[in-house]
Amino acid sequence: MTLLAHGVGSRTDLPIPLGLALYGAGAAILISFVVLLLFWRTPKLGGADSGRPLPDAVQRAADSRAVRTVLQALALAVAVLVTAAAFAGPQETARNLAPWALHVTFWVGLVPASLLLGPVWRVVNPLRLLHRALRPLVPAPVAAARLRSLGLWPAAGFLVVFLWLELVYPGRAEPTTVAVFLLGYAVVQVGLALRFGAEWFAAGDGFEVYSTLIARLSPWGRREDGRLVLRNPLANATATPAVPGLAAVVVVLLGSTAFDGLSRTVFWQTGPGAANDTFSGTVGLVACIALVAALYVLGARLSGRLAGQPEAVQPRRYAATVIPIALGYTVAHYFSLLALDGQTTWILASNPFGLAGVDLFGTYGNEVDLTAVSSDAIALVQVGAVVLGHVLGVTLAHERALLSARRARASDQLPLVVVMVLFTVGGLGLLFGF
Amino acid sequence: MSSRSARLPAALAGIALAATLTGCAGTDADATAASSSPSSPSSSSATSPAPSSSAPASASAAGQRIEVTVTGGGVSGDTGRVPVAAGEQVTLVVTSDTADEVHVHGYDLGVPLTPGQPGEITFAATIPGVFEVELHESHTVLLSLQVG
Repeated sequence: MTLLAHGVGSRTDLPIPLGLALYGAGAAILISFVVLLLFWRTPKLGGADSGRPLPDAVQRAADSRAVRTVLQALALAVAVLVTAAAFAGPQETARNLAPWALHVTFWVGLVPASLLLGPVWRVVNPLRLLHRALRPLVPAPVAAARLRSLGLWPAAGFLVVFLWLELVYPGRAEPTTVAVFLLGYAVVQVGLALRFGAEWFAAGDGFEVYSTLIARLSPWGRREDGRLVLRNPLANATATPAVPGLAAVVVVLLGSTAFDGLSRTVFWQTGPGAANDTFSGTVGLVACIALVAALYVLGARLSGRLAGQPEAVQPRRYAATVIPIALGYTVAHYFSLLALDGQTTWILASNPFGLAGVDLFGTYGNEVDLTAVSSDAIALVQVGAVVLGHVLGVTLAHERALLSARRARASDQLPLVVVMVLFTVGGLGLLFGF
Repeated sequence: MSSRSARLPAALAGIALAATLTGCAGTDADATAASSSPSSPSSSSATSPAPSSSAPASASAAGQRIEVTVTGGGVSGDTGRVPVAAGEQVTLVVTSDTADEVHVHGYDLGVPLTPGQPGEITFAATIPGVFEVELHESHTVLLSLQVG
């Protein structure tokens, strides 16, 4: 078992050079101020009804029950295979498919998939198929009405559980851990869906909510009348419904990525996290999420107070504007993991049970090429992702302020902008190494 | 957080939090500069940590030599984050008071250790990145090799 950060992996990135970090932070702040103050004085993005409708054939295929059933059945087959490999395959993490498939290919791969294709996990979620199959056998859902008031809070909770497993639990990379998690997650989620109705998954399945949230920055959207449209990703993000718990989900994602970065610094490994045990990891993860939450809620509420808006709804109202920042963090931290350690999944998929002589795709003998992406390219992607995320976040927050009050003063947004700058500097700081 | 709380305390809290955030960064930079301090307080002081710091442990034409001693679960010598130039020849020497196996992640190299006998691995540091070097059985992290 490895004790490295983020579930599994054999390497971490080099610290980005100080010069690059400083240029990045400077560029982010400069660009966002220019955009904010000079070029963006009225709402520019379309709302929930904007976008160019997709052809009818695409709409029919995407909404087709048959297409979804087939895709969900395929995803279920893969999930069953991975779980079986976790139980019956080689018990050494380095040779078992399951930890790599879950922690790298699925969890990290969900980000580019959702960014390019839209809310994919909602379409292929195998738990939805299981739920449809079991629904006739149990009484009708009893608590469907209560679900709406919970918003996305259930998903935030389940995400914390998964992130704790991925980043803190010492046995996170063991195949057995992965198998028990996958089975337990499926049972609990399907059970809750039987109680609350099929709407549960959009509110309580952490993976589906994560995918849907990232897809808010994809060019694929759905108008309020249900029509699928192609539209500006920023308009898509602006149209995110401000439901309860949205801010919690975003903050959990941002805070956990910050903890992942923190946990591989020398400061953490020789200081607060020197014990390298469950307790110090749990405290670190909770502290990072709490710090991000406190800063965000403070910034959003202060901005709301300056603008004379009701403060209580501010964190929820502005949560979608933090999605690009969380996405930038995620890309910066996990891009190299997917590109380099992610190769392991495809090597091991060729022989999931480690049987002698089995080599389905002819890749089983391949070695992971840790030089496939140069460290310079990784550093540029990291700085670029954090800077771009920051600029888009500030832009979205500005648009949101203009939508709330047409005559909003730019200075009212200063507290929230300061918090976003702190997130960017903090994100670059963690990548800067130590 | 109550919505009617006074503005000043809230702002002060924000500054304090910001200070915490940037404060961590400052501490971290210091930690890098002194990356060869002993990582465990329980280590015996017999081999005092030489302040070789971030300068290569002992760079020469023959490459870089990194020496680590494990006593009673504590690690001393070239611990912490050890920078190595890409492509350089690295000789890793580990002496432990228990039987174990050294493992260099990423490069996937290993050498078995017998108590008191130095185990040696020599390799060319051709893969850039940060790689942990650990004892395979006890999971004790000896150092992080920073190649680049």
